[in-house]
Amino acid sequence: MSTVVSSVEKEGENVGLHRFALFTACCTAFLIFVGGLVTSTESGLSVPDWPTTYGWNMFAFPFSKWVGGIFFEHSHRLVASFVGFLTVVLTLWTWFGERRTWVRWLAVAALAAVILQGVLGGLTVLLLLPAPVSTLHACLAQTFFCLVISIALFTSPSWKQGLPLIKSHAESIPLQTLCAATTALIYVQLILGALMRHTNSGLAIPDFPLAFGRIIPPFTSEKIVIHFSHRVGATLVAVMVLWTFSRIARSYSESRLLFRPALAMTILLAIQISLGALTVWTAKAVIPTTAHVATGALVLGTSLLLTLRTFAMMSVRIPAWK
Amino acid sequence: MRNRLMFVSSSILVLALAGCGGGGNNTPSLPPAPGGAPSAGGGAAPSATGTVTGKIAFEGTPPPNEKIQMSADPYCQQHNPNATTETVKVSNGGLENVIIYVKNAPAASYPAPSNPVLIDQHDCHYVPHVFTIQTNQPLKIKNSDSTLHNIHAWAEKNMPFNIGQPVQNMETQKSFTTEEMPLPIRCDVHKWMGAFVGVFPHPYHTVSKEGGQYELKLPAGNYEIVAWHEKYGQQTGMVTVADNGKAELNLTFKADAKTSD
Repeated sequence: MSTVVSSVEKEGENVGLHRFALFTACCTAFLIFVGGLVTSTESGLSVPDWPTTYGWNMFAFPFSKWVGGIFFEHSHRLVASFVGFLTVVLTLWTWFGERRTWVRWLAVAALAAVILQGVLGGLTVLLLLPAPVSTLHACLAQTFFCLVISIALFTSPSWKQGLPLIKSHAESIPLQTLCAATTALIYVQLILGALMRHTNSGLAIPDFPLAFGRIIPPFTSEKIVIHFSHRVGATLVAVMVLWTFSRIARSYSESRLLFRPALAMTILLAIQISLGALTVWTAKAVIPTTAHVATGALVLGTSLLLTLRTFAMMSVRIPAWK
Repeated sequence: MRNRLMFVSSSILVLALAGCGGGGNNTPSLPPAPGGAPSAGGGAAPSATGTVTGKIAFEGTPPPNEKIQMSADPYCQQHNPNATTETVKVSNGGLENVIIYVKNAPAASYPAPSNPVLIDQHDCHYVPHVFTIQTNQPLKIKNSDSTLHNIHAWAEKNMPFNIGQPVQNMETQKSFTTEEMPLPIRCDVHKWMGAFVGVFPHPYHTVSKEGGQYELKLPAGNYEIVAWHEKYGQQTGMVTVADNGKAELNLTFKADAKTSD
């Protein structure tokens, strides 16, 4: 159904930069998992000072003292520092090794985001985990992840050489719009998820798939409202993801650049919903709860990748009657 | 109140992030003081010449205190290998660690004692597990362990704090300015470490000891006495105390009562 038209651009390749950005993205995904562990184990305040650790320089804190909740919180700080370092290198490398100005500024934005993220992490400790700051910290983590994924995509040789163009079919909602809406909805859903975690609303509705044995729960507390909003969001995300996947499978399955991320996103969604159910059924056991956070980031990242590709590849529309 | 504030603030955050604009004032306001609390700035404190004694009895079979798994910290594991929870401590039919206080203390200005109340982190436990303190009375926090502890006061009406004590025998002094009951204290490093403190603007409070026994020194008058336990909630009773008189008030918690978990 899809038609490959041409490559549009040839540019000098900087495979090293692309691979480094990819590595940074992988480390960021790991960091999101480690950060999720801190909340899941309720270890966020087990190191009460920042940027020091019990008065020690963070990097000199003795390993023998990584006990109890300190292990999770201190590990998070160190992995975050490593990702911060990678981002500094990525920004410098992009600034001096990349010709496209907008990509260079995108790297600067990633650097600004990671610095702000570090400050928010510190504030959330010093202010004793206020829900708005902790939620913002969680959301900015997802935003930063998206920025790094974008840089990895934009610096990839295939992107720089020009992705193969595809003639899109005349549809009431263009695929690009559908993908963008899906990505935006996933992001909103992740905000709701962060809000649920940081207001301790994860078990406000203790059963699943029903809510207090009903379809619609009694809204007797703010926590129930937040929790149920997340479930409604999950349903909407599932509809959008399946809609996107079915559209691509039906009309653009020949394009592996679109089909693969669409398939991956759908599989990740199935895993994500299962993990969400497990989180409730196990009363927020550490591993499923944390994996739910990390998989959410992967769903978002995959959807973003797909969206950016659709915008790059789909420029010519084929009338529906052809 | 705090949850409501969190909800409002967080909702604003969501709207802002979703591009709907908005903003908000996240400054928490103090919840209203509970009814019956004496107002500050009254006259001189009356002489506490009367005595109320009694027993906090426990009916039924107390649930066993569970063994604490301390393997997360080798120091704790080594120094307190047989530690158990202290939630329900019953001796001679009496319930220990119950906070007993007067709800309707005479309105007066009660000067804060200068002697500090001590809470020690010893063998990865808080000692004592439950205690009371008067507003503005010094609270001395000590770490007797050769391992890191953080002491985190989960206050809602007072200013919460979270401080680290990485060095053995380190001491820190704090105080609470507002009545708050109960105020949980936790170590975020060692999840099993928890304590409760009752903060009162007057001196009429204590904690039940062995056998559930307690004693309160009170001025003459009629009083509503409250007994609070971390698992079983609270019981109340009325007592009349004469000048230089003695009165007795016994209260009972039942094992099958609805818990406050």
